[in-house]
Amino acid sequence: MADVFLEAKNISKTFVGVKALDNVDLTISKGEIHCLIGENGSGKSTLIKVIGGIHKADSGTISIEGNLLSGKDAIESIRSGVQIIYQDLSLFPNLTVAENISINDMLESNQQVVNWKKMRETAKRALSEIGEDIDIDERVENLSVAKKQIIAISRALTQNAKLIIMDEATSAITSEEVKHLFSIILKLKERGIATLFVSHKLGEVFEIAENISILRDGKLLGVYPSHELNEERLAYIMTGLNLKFEPYTYESDKFSQTPLLEVKNLAKGGQYKDINFQVRPGEIVGIIGLIGSGRTEVVESIFGIDQPDSGSISVEGTEVSIKNPRDAMRHGIAFLPEDRLTQGLFDVQSIGNNIVITVIRNFLKRSKLLDLPKKRTCEHEWVEKLSIKTPTPNNPANSLSGGNQQRVVIAKWLATDPKVFILDGPTIGIDIGSKHTIHEIIRDLARQGMGIVIISDEAQEILDNCNRVIVMSKGTIIKEFADSRDVDADHLLDIVARRVEIGVDA
Amino acid sequence: MNLKRIFKRSETFVLLIIIAFSVFVTIKNPAFLTLDNLFDLLRSSSGTAILGIGIFLVLISGGVDVSSTTIAIVTQYVSITLMIRSGIDSMWFLFGLSAFIGIVLGAINAFFVSLLKVPTLIVTLGTSSLYHGIMLEFFGTRSVNIGSLPESVKSFGKINILTLTRADGSTYGLSIFFVILIALLIITYVILKYTVIGRSVYAIGGNLEAAKRAGFNTRKTHFFVYTYAGLLAGIMGVIHLSLIRYSNPNYIVGTELGVIAAVVLGGARISGGTGTLTGTMLGIILITILEKNLIMMGLSTYWQQLFIGVVLILGVSITYLQAKFQQSGKTIIATEEE
Repeated sequence: MADVFLEAKNISKTFVGVKALDNVDLTISKGEIHCLIGENGSGKSTLIKVIGGIHKADSGTISIEGNLLSGKDAIESIRSGVQIIYQDLSLFPNLTVAENISINDMLESNQQVVNWKKMRETAKRALSEIGEDIDIDERVENLSVAKKQIIAISRALTQNAKLIIMDEATSAITSEEVKHLFSIILKLKERGIATLFVSHKLGEVFEIAENISILRDGKLLGVYPSHELNEERLAYIMTGLNLKFEPYTYESDKFSQTPLLEVKNLAKGGQYKDINFQVRPGEIVGIIGLIGSGRTEVVESIFGIDQPDSGSISVEGTEVSIKNPRDAMRHGIAFLPEDRLTQGLFDVQSIGNNIVITVIRNFLKRSKLLDLPKKRTCEHEWVEKLSIKTPTPNNPANSLSGGNQQRVVIAKWLATDPKVFILDGPTIGIDIGSKHTIHEIIRDLARQGMGIVIISDEAQEILDNCNRVIVMSKGTIIKEFADSRDVDADHLLDIVARRVEIGVDA
Repeated sequence: MNLKRIFKRSETFVLLIIIAFSVFVTIKNPAFLTLDNLFDLLRSSSGTAILGIGIFLVLISGGVDVSSTTIAIVTQYVSITLMIRSGIDSMWFLFGLSAFIGIVLGAINAFFVSLLKVPTLIVTLGTSSLYHGIMLEFFGTRSVNIGSLPESVKSFGKINILTLTRADGSTYGLSIFFVILIALLIITYVILKYTVIGRSVYAIGGNLEAAKRAGFNTRKTHFFVYTYAGLLAGIMGVIHLSLIRYSNPNYIVGTELGVIAAVVLGGARISGGTGTLTGTMLGIILITILEKNLIMMGLSTYWQQLFIGVVLILGVSITYLQAKFQQSGKTIIATEEE
């Protein structure tokens, strides 16, 4: 193979007794779009750091275009054309686009004086190479994540990148922006620049990757041409479990038809308007829309975080007034926020304390002191019910993986015994095995008669788990599918992105 | 999004307040808007402004320096004491000695900040007490009064580079202090804008981790920032001495919050990375004219302290407020474009 760019062979790396990488091979050809997939802790980050020269492998070799790397420092990899774009993008928010793009170039040139003219030219050239037009005098803090990503790619280009490694590149941008990113990656490919996507998530990468390497527990499970894989098979290889996606079926005859939650003509200036929908017992209603479509704002209003200007909210047929989250909870509404780390979890507190926080008053004895044995029983009960992987509920919440943290947040809300449970992005940043477990938990709740609302921008997640789908765009509901089986993922995404005409007035 | 723009240009705000305030003061006291008074203001506030440059630099790098006033008084008192003992009557000697001590003390700050990674506020709080304590214990507590000051120090403070005559025949002029300030402003501007070390100050203030990854030697940057701030404090110490012709080891200390407030008022973000020298100077000007005119406005000088507190709290809140405005200002519903 003459066109091999990078060849990593038998890479092993151990950190304090834990084998992070075990005899891993990775080969990337010139201009190849490769994807490295693995759950959290599977060794992906270690592997890219070894390639980038940040960690030195215990054994194994890395060669680039036939030359063996010593693996001693990052500069060697950079000079060979390897550029890593970390998830945080490593940009300077306070500096201009021009300076951010050309800063490495400036440092490489080893001069002590700044040549602003050259800096601007470098930035312009890098942007035009990928056909982007961004104001180079704008400060980076004023740009969207997608634009920032483009800045990071342009910066990599100034370093004569031949392989760009992108860590979780698609996790913080909308599906429209993902498409745009892919078009850039294809342009890079034309110029012979290879891309390695590193992700824990299935989905988008299928569209573009040629080959997919799968890591689990530090071992390479295999390299597959992407057309040989589908989500189910990939999920099977990754988790070793046969995860079957079977759409949720709502058995309408088993439950009362009185809506648990009914929203009528809800509106809030500048954010959303004409919002009408119902959630009946046993239903899982999906709300899909791009970031900024107003979906989060609507449910935040229902939960009393931000009051609507007009419209009504009814619970079990009775109109209720919800002025704050406490009102919402009293009426049996629970809400799992999008960002569990900042909004849903007290991460240094114990798992148990996190679970009982919503119902702590139930454990007050007559003396107004806490009934600790009762509290402990409750904590253990939930840890068991949701199979949260921890030796004891006394461990801090941040000792858990993302999926288990999410289960803690779910347990916390279930402890309030809600009638309606609204989950905003319930599986964001969670690896595939846990994702499946969380979906199962949600379905179980619905089967027992709870009304569920799931918000997500993953069409597949919505279609697999919801019996009814609402599409939001620009603050209004543009389409509702009473039966989710009436639509497939591609069509749904087209509607979300407004690529197709829909009969409904927007 | 106009609000955002306005917030971004705090310099404009400060300038407008300065103009409005000057008009107000001039109406009450026509002597305010004279060249005589202006030159006097420049002479007495140049030292503070020099200290402000150093504090500005530290803020840009993402730190907070509360030790610069202590460094100024320590360099002043120690170097004048040594100068008198040695009998060398030369301003060059005094400036050199003072600058040297300032650089050494700044380097000690840098050591704690960059190598031990202690938060800058804690480091400088600690070292300021340390430096002051060492000086009081080992160099004495007695003031140096005008009688024992070397001749060169006394005459240096009287040098004017431009001399004008008042109606009554007496003269006034533009002090050499102002020339030193302008020179330092230009040097600092050029360093910050056109040198790699200057850009690295902005870089570490914006994103320290990214600066390391990009290949900046962030230790070097920290040493540069704190030694430069120390050097400026040393220069300020000498200027202050030749201005008031008296050295009391307890002077200057305690005014640091006022200078920090002025710099923050001028638009330097307390979270680092953002700010301009122009803004810094405008902030210093505003705080200075407020201070000098409070009594004339019929207010006690305690208002100054109150005002500084308000500015600092607002300055700290502003980063938070900006983020908040950006969020609540979002408009989702499309205007009639489709």
